[in-house]
Amino acid sequence: MSTRMLKRTGLSNELCEQLKRHQIESCKDLLSLTPLEVMHAACLSYQQAIELLQSVSKVIAPPVSTALELCKQQACFSTSLPALDKLLRGGLPHGTITEVTGPSGCGKTQICLMLSVLATLPKSEGGLDSGVIYIDTECAFSAERLVEIAQSRFPDYFNCRERVLHMAGRVLLCRELTCQDVLNRLDRIEEDIISSGAGLIILDSVASVVRKEFDTTLPGNLMHRSDLLGHEASTLKYLAHQFNIPVVLTNQITTHLGGQGSEDAGFVTAALGNTWSHSVNTRLILQYVDSHQRQILIAKSPVAPFAVLNYTIEKQGICIDGDDSQETLYEGTDPGLQPIRVQTGFTYNLTTPI
Amino acid sequence: MQCSVSSLSLSPAVKSRLTAAGFSLLSELQGLPPSQICAEAGVSQQEALQVLQAVRGSPVRIAPPLTALQLLQEEQQQRSIISFCSQLDAALGGGLPVGKTTEICGAPGVGKTQLCLQLAVDVQVPVCFGGLGGQAVFVDTEGSFLLQRVQDFAGAAVKHCSLLVEDDEQRVAMTTFNVETILSNIFLVRCHDYVELLAELHLLPDFLSEHPRVRLLVIDSMAFPFRLHFDELSQRTRLLNGLAQQFIAMASSHHIAVVITNQMTTRLRGSQSQLVPALGESWGHAPTIRLLLQWAGTQRLAVIFKSPGHPGSTVEYQINSDGFRDAVQSEQPPSKRPRTHTIQSAAGQRDSNQSAPGPRHCS
Repeated sequence: MSTRMLKRTGLSNELCEQLKRHQIESCKDLLSLTPLEVMHAACLSYQQAIELLQSVSKVIAPPVSTALELCKQQACFSTSLPALDKLLRGGLPHGTITEVTGPSGCGKTQICLMLSVLATLPKSEGGLDSGVIYIDTECAFSAERLVEIAQSRFPDYFNCRERVLHMAGRVLLCRELTCQDVLNRLDRIEEDIISSGAGLIILDSVASVVRKEFDTTLPGNLMHRSDLLGHEASTLKYLAHQFNIPVVLTNQITTHLGGQGSEDAGFVTAALGNTWSHSVNTRLILQYVDSHQRQILIAKSPVAPFAVLNYTIEKQGICIDGDDSQETLYEGTDPGLQPIRVQTGFTYNLTTPI
Repeated sequence: MQCSVSSLSLSPAVKSRLTAAGFSLLSELQGLPPSQICAEAGVSQQEALQVLQAVRGSPVRIAPPLTALQLLQEEQQQRSIISFCSQLDAALGGGLPVGKTTEICGAPGVGKTQLCLQLAVDVQVPVCFGGLGGQAVFVDTEGSFLLQRVQDFAGAAVKHCSLLVEDDEQRVAMTTFNVETILSNIFLVRCHDYVELLAELHLLPDFLSEHPRVRLLVIDSMAFPFRLHFDELSQRTRLLNGLAQQFIAMASSHHIAVVITNQMTTRLRGSQSQLVPALGESWGHAPTIRLLLQWAGTQRLAVIFKSPGHPGSTVEYQINSDGFRDAVQSEQPPSKRPRTHTIQSAAGQRDSNQSAPGPRHCS
């Protein structure tokens, strides 16, 4: 919207020409100016300059709605895990970004595959009856596993081959192996969303490409990296809101070294840093309890309290153990610094810096 | 009338013609017929008319100075928005002041948006309960406005007020104070980038004039759109300064509380890194009050670290299913704390609220 040309906002041609002489061509250029600068560039009186700014603003500004009107389009994407849905008040909220973080092999991709299956299910089965855009940066997507999850999770529905094929046909896979590819894909994904009728975007994983390409110990790289992540986040937020669909990302883990003189030793926590943690609306952390048993932590959520759920990975994907009432609540802490237990079953205690 | 022609709010072209024609003071233009200005300065009749109108409506209007006494009376009339967290209200001298800009900074997930949502509900508490009976404008740049949560907060606020009903006036007020009206009194704008935000802010003064009951403007967050897409930091600083000015003007002329959230960023000082509010040092001058929400282990703390009227202080708070509330009294052994997040204990929490937050204090 912001790149919209002034010509298309209903301004007179003369005014556009006049502004163009001062390199003011888009709404973005104009709105970045102060009224005094506009007066100078457009040769207008103060009052007219204010009117010009307001008329352009009217074209650009998003509509105002009341929260009550929002009620009607409120929707959730059920995760088919009743205990998690209950905590999240119905599932992953549409229009927001959900991040799944955890150590390798803990089930991040499994969750993504499971959600892909769910999104393609018809509404009567609790799905979204829509396509899925799956951006895979780790080449971890397995179509075989997708079908396996589908067939073992919903044996009644996927009882015939056509339905399975139909489901698999609706999952659109994009393999993007560099940061630039991911960005390019995101910038042009709108067309794919419309053509495939996608109701879910998955980016698995946001961390791998970024961490591969940016050595943050070099000067300037950290800045560049956070710019890039910020760009990704704002594009994804825009898509989520524009199409009112959920977006799911996966993230990796990193070692957080306690600051000098601080009492806490190092521990493992979500990667990509503090600024990125601001960008996600919901953060689910997966961690190991022992080699078989794992846990989902709701570490950041606008609706859910902090909570822990035990799960295992079975043939049909993620299975929450026990009944709904079994979840244990815990006192929250900074989701950016939430310690994560890794495979060995204990929190890494790095008293000696690497 | 010793003002010069260049002080007029006219387009630069007209002004240069006037100066070229020898007009330097406003008094020289006064009383001239338009056609003479046309002839002397070589401007069109339309422009001559504008010149005369500008001269008459002389821009040099100096507002008479206020005495501190007048200001005191004015400030006492403007009430504050209570936060339902009595310790925070006490630290802020009765709540979030109307007519001022307040910034809320904090780490991700600490409760910035929750506090904003709570305020958007609280601003609507009817006047007879000690509230403001206002409306709220919520500018969402991060997509974090979640309706379910507002419904929770609204439900809790309605319940809280209904328990306080004592006289007929309050009973009447309660008939229109319900979740549905609360939701319909929150105006929501979703901005995707800073240009949309700038555009929205150009339109807000008019919107506020049309909706005189609005008492709260929330920008959640300021940091997200302004942390991206800026190659030149000087451009960003300039825009932010302009916005800060607009916020202050809106806050005082429309009698609204402006609440801006800000993110935290990591700053490296030598080998040590620390978390500081984003958007740079100079932005820190913009808000009148700065609140920092932070984690201390598993506790959540609110720190007032800039305020002209209150000493810097730290209070503990919690976020439960009803909203932003006082932390449970610290006499309790810490082992019981984790339970405060459960829904079951929220009922018990409400009982203890009787002595704690709420509008009844102000009524």
